[in-house]
Amino acid sequence: MEYALDKLPQRLHGRLRHHRVTRSLRRPPQFFTDTSNFTAIDYGDIIAIDDRFLLVTGYTREGRFGIDEQVKPWVPRVEDLESEEKFILKLVFHETFDMQFGQFTINCYRNPEKEARVLELVKGHPHFMQGRSILDEANNLVRILDIVNGNRLDKFIHRGELSHQEYFYQKFPEVMRQFLKCVKGIQFLHENDLRHGDIRRDHIFVDRDTGLYIWIDFDYDFYMPERPFALDLYELGNILTYLTARARFHEKDILMHPDMGRAVLDTIVPGDLSVLSKNRIVNLKKLFPYIPDRLNNILLHFSHGTEVFYETVAELHDELGEALTVLG
Amino acid sequence: MNDWKRILIAVDQSQTSIKALSYTADITSNLSDAELCLLYIYPEPPPNYYSSGGSLSDYQQQKTAAAEVIFQNSMELLEKYALGEKVTTRCKMADHITISQAVLEVQAEGKFGTVVVGKRGVSKAEEFLFGSISNGIVHHCHDFTVWVVG
Repeated sequence: MEYALDKLPQRLHGRLRHHRVTRSLRRPPQFFTDTSNFTAIDYGDIIAIDDRFLLVTGYTREGRFGIDEQVKPWVPRVEDLESEEKFILKLVFHETFDMQFGQFTINCYRNPEKEARVLELVKGHPHFMQGRSILDEANNLVRILDIVNGNRLDKFIHRGELSHQEYFYQKFPEVMRQFLKCVKGIQFLHENDLRHGDIRRDHIFVDRDTGLYIWIDFDYDFYMPERPFALDLYELGNILTYLTARARFHEKDILMHPDMGRAVLDTIVPGDLSVLSKNRIVNLKKLFPYIPDRLNNILLHFSHGTEVFYETVAELHDELGEALTVLG
Repeated sequence: MNDWKRILIAVDQSQTSIKALSYTADITSNLSDAELCLLYIYPEPPPNYYSSGGSLSDYQQQKTAAAEVIFQNSMELLEKYALGEKVTTRCKMADHITISQAVLEVQAEGKFGTVVVGKRGVSKAEEFLFGSISNGIVHHCHDFTVWVVG
């Protein structure tokens, strides 16, 4: 075990001692150059990498599989003791797990190398989280990520006390214009033989200052040799459906909705449901009749009733661009 | 149009592959100038294969050994039709391309006039997520014929 004060340059001792994080610590901060055992690294410790001394100031959290937000010990928030810049670190964690898509189970895993490749590819791209990768002393591929200051898109669209119809006419066209740029970003990844891997509505952040929509979190990967981009495509469809309805609609949600109820539910047929999630409605025009056909037809490409799937994100992007013209 | 009697047959361990092979043998057994090529395409290793210590050469050796077994079984079937001498084999990894694209590459390189594939009969959801090799080949076929054996 190495103590931070034994290893840190003298000039940084004062900053460490007086930092809000270390003031309340009951143990001396430790010093890490090897992040292999990331569970040993704690709040207030120093990670020395990339000629920087990074103080662990917290941990990120994420909800998944219906479980409340969990701390991710391999993703600490850090502050550069010298420059006071703040970053998120991603340490190597080779986790594998199964994800359920309807009746299918897909083996997924964290792939630090893929995330590093994505970060390199999207350097300077306004719709992707920025960062770089560097090897620690034990050759672990650590990713140093710039923090995106903003809010999750799925929270952002709920701002204001708007009815769905008000949302759809007042806010949704601009939401779509921004989302379309995110879709183009995923097309760019695919054209470069890379997947996002974990497309979810809480993995787009809306930048507080610029209003740009920004993809985060690229370390998930999966193995689907014949349709390597199908999951990304499917998840884009899920986000599009969510943004359009401003909610997920299952049969019970229709039944409970004051403006829908049994009369609307009785119109729903199996072909209106998602191709993979057999209780989620994607034929949203049946719920919100003012949704233009052009947009609804895009949603129907992700339905159980579809005869034609999108083969590429480019196809989705182009049709979405055309649908935007009727949204105003 | 390439010579239809130069026939590329995609094979694997499945029952549909055996059906496709039997069907092709039935049709070609009386043709003196038919040339058959058994093709086994395998995907790249999963990306996490390397992080668990595997090497590409080990993976390729395993797949080549698996292909040999498939070829041997296929040859036994074809010999019953007296087709053994007309058959060649090819084993290849789909390197940065899908399996259907790899089949199409081999077809183009060898100027095969017919490609034979088995069809599993997948659901709509399965096709969306995992794709269909036979559909991939049918969608992109030019100057050759595809036999899809269900």
